[in-house]
Formats: sequence, C-alpha cells, structure tokens
Amino acid sequence: MTNPVLIFVFAGLLPAVGVVYAIYKGKAPQNYIFLAISLALYYGALTNFRYLYLFSPRFNYILAPIIYFYGFNLSGLSKFIRNRLAQIVLLLVIYVTVVFFIFLAMPGDYTTKFLQDPKIRQNPEVYERMKQLFGVDDPWYVKYYKHMKNFFNLELGISFSEYPKRVEEIIAERLPRTLFLFLASSVLSFLLGFDLGKRIAWKRGGLTDKMATFVGIVFWTIFTPFYMLILIWLFAVTLRLFPLSGFITPTKWFDAPFSAQAVFIRLLLTELFMLVMWIIGIVVAGRLKTIRAKRTAIWGFVIGGAIIAFVYWAANGMGTYALDIVHHLALPVIALVTLHFAGDMLVMRDTMLEVIKEDYITTARAKGLPDKVIRDKHAARTALLPLMTSFVIGLASTVSGGVITETMFSWKGMGLTLLEATTAQDTPLAIGCLVFTGVLVLLAHLVADILYAFLDPRIRY
Amino acid sequence: MIVPVIKVENLKMYYKTKMGYVQAVDGISFELEAGESLGIVGESGCGKTSVSMTLLRTLPENAHFMGGHVWFNDNGKMVDLTQLPEDEMRHYRWRGISMVFQAAMNSLNPVYKVGDQIVEAILNHYPDTPIDQAKAKVAKLFELVTLDPKRMEQYPHQYSGGMKQRAVIALSLACDPKVIIADEPTTALDVIVQDKILRELKKIQKELNMAMIYISHDIAVIAEVSDKIAVMYAGKFVEEADSTTIFKRPMHPYTFLLMNAFPSHVGPKKKLFTIPGEPPNLLNPPKGCRFAPRCPWADNRCREQDPEYVEVEKGHYLACWHPLTEEVRQNELRK
Ligand SMILES: Nc1ncnc2c1ncn2[C@@H]1O[C@H](COP(=O)(O)OP(=O)(O)OP(=O)(O)O)[C@@H](O)[C@H]1O
Ligand code: SF4
Ligand SMILES: [Mg+2]
Repeated sequence: MTNPVLIFVFAGLLPAVGVVYAIYKGKAPQNYIFLAISLALYYGALTNFRYLYLFSPRFNYILAPIIYFYGFNLSGLSKFIRNRLAQIVLLLVIYVTVVFFIFLAMPGDYTTKFLQDPKIRQNPEVYERMKQLFGVDDPWYVKYYKHMKNFFNLELGISFSEYPKRVEEIIAERLPRTLFLFLASSVLSFLLGFDLGKRIAWKRGGLTDKMATFVGIVFWTIFTPFYMLILIWLFAVTLRLFPLSGFITPTKWFDAPFSAQAVFIRLLLTELFMLVMWIIGIVVAGRLKTIRAKRTAIWGFVIGGAIIAFVYWAANGMGTYALDIVHHLALPVIALVTLHFAGDMLVMRDTMLEVIKEDYITTARAKGLPDKVIRDKHAARTALLPLMTSFVIGLASTVSGGVITETMFSWKGMGLTLLEATTAQDTPLAIGCLVFTGVLVLLAHLVADILYAFLDPRIRY
Repeated sequence: MIVPVIKVENLKMYYKTKMGYVQAVDGISFELEAGESLGIVGESGCGKTSVSMTLLRTLPENAHFMGGHVWFNDNGKMVDLTQLPEDEMRHYRWRGISMVFQAAMNSLNPVYKVGDQIVEAILNHYPDTPIDQAKAKVAKLFELVTLDPKRMEQYPHQYSGGMKQRAVIALSLACDPKVIIADEPTTALDVIVQDKILRELKKIQKELNMAMIYISHDIAVIAEVSDKIAVMYAGKFVEEADSTTIFKRPMHPYTFLLMNAFPSHVGPKKKLFTIPGEPPNLLNPPKGCRFAPRCPWADNRCREQDPEYVEVEKGHYLACWHPLTEEVRQNELRK
C-alpha cells in the first residue's frame, strides 16, 4: 500500500472510528481488552509485522473485526451473527487442518512425489519455489504452518495434472461452475418443495397428495447415477433436446471474441441478480397488506429482473454464446432439482401436518381468516423453519452429491475436478478442491443460518 | 320480547375415532341475550371445549357435526351458523363469536408480533381500517387487559404465561364480538391476577353489552361472572338456571353434589360431598341417564330411559327423573 489516501483511510480513519465507537459504547474493561487485541491484530496485518499475525495477514483481517465486536454487549440478531461468524472461522481453521492431516497420514509423502515429476524437475526455479511453499524438508509442524499460511495466502501450488496452471487459477475457474449449479438447483428445488409440500399437506389424503408423495418417495430414494443416465438417454439421446454433456459446444466458440469463462461469470452474476431481485420482492411484499399486493410485488420484481437480464444479454452481444452454456446447463439442473425437491417436499408436507394441529392455527381459523391466508401466512410460515433446518443439514450432501452430477454430465466443476485430481494423484489440486468445497459449504451454512435467524424471532430476540 | 343473540338447539357433535364415536356434544340447547352471561361448569372431559369449538366451527378433522342449530342474531336476522358454507361462516367468526382459548400458551403464532396478530384480526374483518387506527385500537385493548402497549412489538415467547393469557383476551375483543366465549381463561394465572382479570372481563362484557359464555370447572369462578349457569355432564347439559337458583335450589343431583363438593370461603362451615365413581367414557356412555351409575337417587327407570331436558319452571331447565326438592336437599345437608 503506497497510496497515501488509502493509508490514511485504512491505517488511520477506520481504526479511529472503531476506537471512538468502542469508547462511546464501552463501559466494562473487557471492551478495551478486546479493542486492544483487535487493534493489535489489525495493525500487525497492516504493517506485516510477522509476530502479530497467525498464518497470514489475511487471517488477521478476518479475525480483527470479529474480536472487536466481542467487546460489546450485543443482543439479538447482531449477537447471533457475530457468534456464528466466529464459529465459522473456527470451523474453517479446523477443517483446513483436518485436510492437512489426512494428506499427511496418507502413505508416501506427496510433496516428494510431486517434486519428482519430470515436468517440474525440468524447471529448477519452479522446483525451488514449490519446495519452499510446501516446506518439503521441514518437520511436520512447519509443514502444517506453511499449509495454513498457503491457504490464507491463496497460494496452493501448481497443479501437476494440468501443469503449469496454478491451483488457485483452476479453482477460480471451476468454483463458479459448481456455485451456479448449486445455487440454481437448491433454490429452485427448495421453492418447488416448499410450495408443493404445503399444498399437498393442506389437501391431505386426496389423490394429488397420494400421487405427489409417491413420486416424491421415488425421487428421494432413486439411485442417482441411474436416474441421471435415464435423463441423458431420454432427453439427450432419444429426444435430442439437450446436449449429452460438457460445458460448451466447442465448434460454436471457434471465433468467439471472448472466453467461455467470461460469459459464464456473467451468467452467474445474472443468476445472483435474479436471486437478489426475488429477495427484494419478498422484503417489499412483507410491508404490503393484501395477498394480492404481496403476490404482485414478488412477481413484479422477478419479472422485472428477468426483463432487465434479457435486455442486458440481448445488448451485450454474448447472448447466443450464453444460450449455448445454458443449453448445456439445463439437463444437470433438471436432474438436481427433481432429485432435491422430493426431500424438501416430503419434509415440508410432514411439518405442515404437524403445524396444522397447533393451537395457533385454530386461532387463525377462529379469527375468520380466509383459508389461503391460514395456509400461507400461518401454517407454511412456521413450517418453513424445520424445512430450513433440514435444508441446512442437507447442504453438505448437496455439494458432495455434486461430484456424481458433475461426473455424469461431464460438468467441470469442483466435484469433477476433485475426482480427476485424486485419480491423477494431483495432490495440490485435490487439497485445493477439498478446501474450497469446504469453504463453499461453510459459507452456505452461514447464509442459511442468518436467513433462519431472520425467519425465527425466537433466535433473533 | 327480547330476541336472543345466540340460540342453540339440540346441538350434536361427535368425534370419530378408531374405536367409534366419542359423543362429546350430545344435544345441547341454550340461548343468550346481549349483555347476559352464561357459565358452563362441568368436570374435565365432559365436552365444554367441544361445545365452544362447535359453535365457532373450528373443529379438528375427526369431528363430525351430527345435527342441531346455532341461530345467530345478525342484526335482527337469525342465521343458522351450522348451515353456512365455510367462506360465509368466516365472516361470523371473531366479529360475531370470538373466543379466549383454553390453551393460551400456544394460541399465538410464534413468528409474528403479538400486536400484529391482533391487528390482523381487525383488518381481516374491517379491511378499510387504516393501520394506525387498528394499532391504536390494539393499544387500547392492551391497556384494558393491563398490558403495556409497548409489548405489542414483542413476540409471544417474550411474554410470560399470564401476559399471553391477557393478550389472548385482548385478541378476543379485537372485533367487538356479539358473543365471547371464554374457555377457562384464567386457569394459568395466580389467584390475584385471576381475580383481577375476571373482574375486568366482566366489566368489559357489561360495558360493550356482549353476551358471554364462560367455561370453567371451578364453580366459584363461574358464580362470580355468570348470570346463568349451565351444568354439563358427559356431553349434555343436565341443568340450567340463573346463578342463585343453581346455588340455592339445585334440582339435579349432580348439580347439588357439585355445589357442595367445594369448600366455601365464606359463611358457616358446611358439609362436603364427594361424588363417587368416575365420569363415563363418552365413547360408550351408559344407557339411560348418564349420571345414573354415580347417582344416589338412581332407580331402574334412570338406568333405562334418558330423562328429557325440559323447562321445569321459568328459565330453569332440567334433565332428571327425580328432581330434588327443598326437603331432600335439607335432609342431605343435615345428615
Ligand atoms: N379430537 C378428538 N378426538 C377424539 N376425542 C376427542 C377429541 N377432542 C376431545 N375429545 C374427547 O372429547 C371429550 C370432550 O373433550 P373437551 O376438550 O371438550 O373437554 P373439556 O370439557 O373441555 O375438558 P377440560 O375441562 O379438561 O378442558 C373428551 O372425552 C375428550 O377425550
Ligand atoms: S335421572 Fe335418575 S340417575 Fe339421572 S340424575 Fe336424575 S335421579 Fe340421578
Ligand atoms: Mg376444555
């Protein structure tokens, strides 16, 4: 950092604001202790003072604000978020540690094997750098320290199956692909499962209920690879609606003026944009009175978002290329959504049936509320909480199940990369994939937990 | 002639179970005028809650309506609530008949603010009310039940049991109902608060000229709030009269025993009766008079034929083959 303005803001203004706020709010001595620790970590990282940071300055930047807020008597949601953040950071450290020890415990030192590789031996400069990076000649605890440091520095070495690409480059390319699939499928299947579950529970015992439950159980228990093969056979081979597999159709991209990755990142951003529009719609709807107005608000924002997205893609000249990617995406998304909605639907149906028996549902009926209001505003709203819990619990398996999906559809995301790296004994890449898949799961957990706290006042207050 | 606000005729509702029908409400009749209050007293499980749920038609799924009428006075027009389609019935709920639920602990939705849940009821029936006005009304109701209006912004789990109970009372008053059913509204509270709330409820009821149905197993509480008392036994009303009559001149053996099964806090020490045996199983109630197995005056006729519920003197209804006379009562008390 050499820019004086930046130095002023980050070394002076930001901590000063923190200090003033802490003194203004603080009453107990512990405020100042936490404040001091937090400042020490912050400045340690800023000045790169090696005795004041653990692993890497980056880690300090994560720790300092969390520790700072431990000096306050927070309450409600802010306290919940602070504690969750601290837990997630701790879990992250534990997780990355566990990954290290798993690889340490594996027979044969992967670093030596890695460095024996002719491709790397040919280049003495790279060889030395890698040796340093992994701490090849060091005892295990130094290796561990370096492993942690590398993680926080985002320096994961060089992939050896995809030499000479760096691991972090590969992950930067693959992570968004997994994220896209994961977001699209989990959000869609959650919505579908929530909506269907609530409807069939409300009309329980009817034909629709029985059929939907049956279909749900079939999807829930089906052997995943088999199901995906059926989908591929039906839609790609027989009906030829979608391509067999892969990420793009290479022939279409020969003279493309931009990389597939650039288009894909924009697609991912579009997906996030749609998600944000939908959430804004929900928030706005929360302030409206009638069901009609609420529904109009949500659909208004979603459709508005879709129109903006459409105009954006029509105008930027990448539209046809994006369509090619979307075309490849369709089948994996359909597979994941159909597989996952079933579990959500069954859980939702079950909790709805429990909630319907609650006294407050009788109160809602006695108040003379219309049937739909009782179902949506009172029953489904509280049944949403257990559904969220089961969703959070299922997060990890959703991501790990991604390995199968990505393999079946040759969709090069984190899962397939991990599989290939493992079979090719490309340990740096395997470690990188594992660690970042873990980061993805932990972040998803954090988001889901905070959402949960928003939805459940008993946690908030 | 005064037209009643609510007139119930021979109301029947059974619960269907695997073992057969539970005859929880089996031919109930009564009527109430505006400003009048009826207390329903009876042992646990005799069907008190079932009666109120049948009036509001907020029954569990296995409940089966078996007949009878609930005539509700809708501005001079008598409407039979039992015959209305569901979407018309809902307009009579809360505005016509509202209820203070027995299970106040879980009667409020945990994910919404208490104030908002009451506002919801108001806006549901009077959609044109501005929100501020609805909120102001809720604040007033909160003051009425001695809750701090600031608590409107809190969630049910931030309330104590007694506060929830009071919030549920405030909720029941939200739409100025013509009839209010209070199902053991004070059982969760300590005696002092209980007394206060009872008095408050009574005052509100008289002020707003509502008809009130007050349900309890506690005869002392019933006596305090009710103009009329109905004694319920095993799904049926066995006696109904004004409070003094029920206390001074009960004619049904069950009423008599019930009145004298509780120690009274005031007056001379009196003899305490116990009622032998247990209330009957409503799945398979005894033939004839349902009280016969426990009744000291029961004879063969009682065990064979069910006595009809008839008006024996003005405003005094009774179902018994051998009504107690003053002489019998005095004898019993002296024994
Ligand atoms: N859903 C149901 N299915 C079957 N039987 C039921 C159901 N609800 C209540 N009952 C039975 O109906 C009878 C009357 O129940 P109810 O709740 O009306 O009694 P109650 O007089 O209100 O009792 P308490 O004073 O304990 O509240 C009881 O014998 C009970 O076991
Ligand atoms: S009818 Fe007979 S059994 Fe029933 S209460 Fe009267 S005297 Fe007792
Ligand atoms: Mg009851």
